[in-house]
Amino acid sequence: MIRNALGHMISCKDASRLMSRKEDAPLTFWQRLTLRLHLSVCAACMRFERQVRFLRTAMQMYRS
Amino acid sequence: MPSPDFSRDLDQHRGYLMRVARLQLRDEALAEDVVQETLLAALSGSGFSGKSSLRTWLTGILKHKIVDAIRRKQREPIAAASFGDLESEVDIEDFDGYFKENGAWDARPADWGNPESALDRRQFFEMMDFCLEKLPPNTARVFMMREVMELETDEICKELTITANNLWVILYRARMSLRQCLEQNWFAGKNAPS
Repeated sequence: MIRNALGHMISCKDASRLMSRKEDAPLTFWQRLTLRLHLSVCAACMRFERQVRFLRTAMQMYRS
Repeated sequence: MPSPDFSRDLDQHRGYLMRVARLQLRDEALAEDVVQETLLAALSGSGFSGKSSLRTWLTGILKHKIVDAIRRKQREPIAAASFGDLESEVDIEDFDGYFKENGAWDARPADWGNPESALDRRQFFEMMDFCLEKLPPNTARVFMMREVMELETDEICKELTITANNLWVILYRARMSLRQCLEQNWFAGKNAPS
């Protein structure tokens, strides 16, 4: 129950921005923590994370 | 003197180089110039050592030629306006459409199953072209600088004189758009509903 509350400290919108930013610059400790907590309770954002990482892989293949 | 085989090998990559240059520069004539310069440099330069793939090596040369072309454009007062538009492309309100007022997903990302299997398909990369073309021009340029030319945050910011935050917003916007486009046009319906 506490984990659920912690997981919703940030919204999916916030999480999506953090997941994108993570591809370009390191997150702060707090950003990493709140993101990880959110991902532990949000299946939609977990999918998004995998998809963002896939986009990078796809772009790497696109260039070669 | 480069062998005729090498020249022919280079020519096979012309299509790919044109695609990258076109997406970056949004100017067919300029893209052709840049690709010509790249192939000329490849033929006359210090030579291909064979350590990386030919395409990777050519992409490296192309990257420098594109950056040079962008720099030359920026010095021209008319062309400077096209990067001035960068600010208006950075308006964060535009992607509230992806989320509800409370910050939850408006349309939750779907299950893509095993997306890596798409990477074998030529049609998938055609779809990526389609989705990349949908991006606003400056957004596409910046996204390509990051993901194809693999420039770091500070390099891009210095090149375009934008802040890191501006850059991250632009890249976020590109990824959100690309992800949605690929989901709607490729991955939707390819997997069992979940």
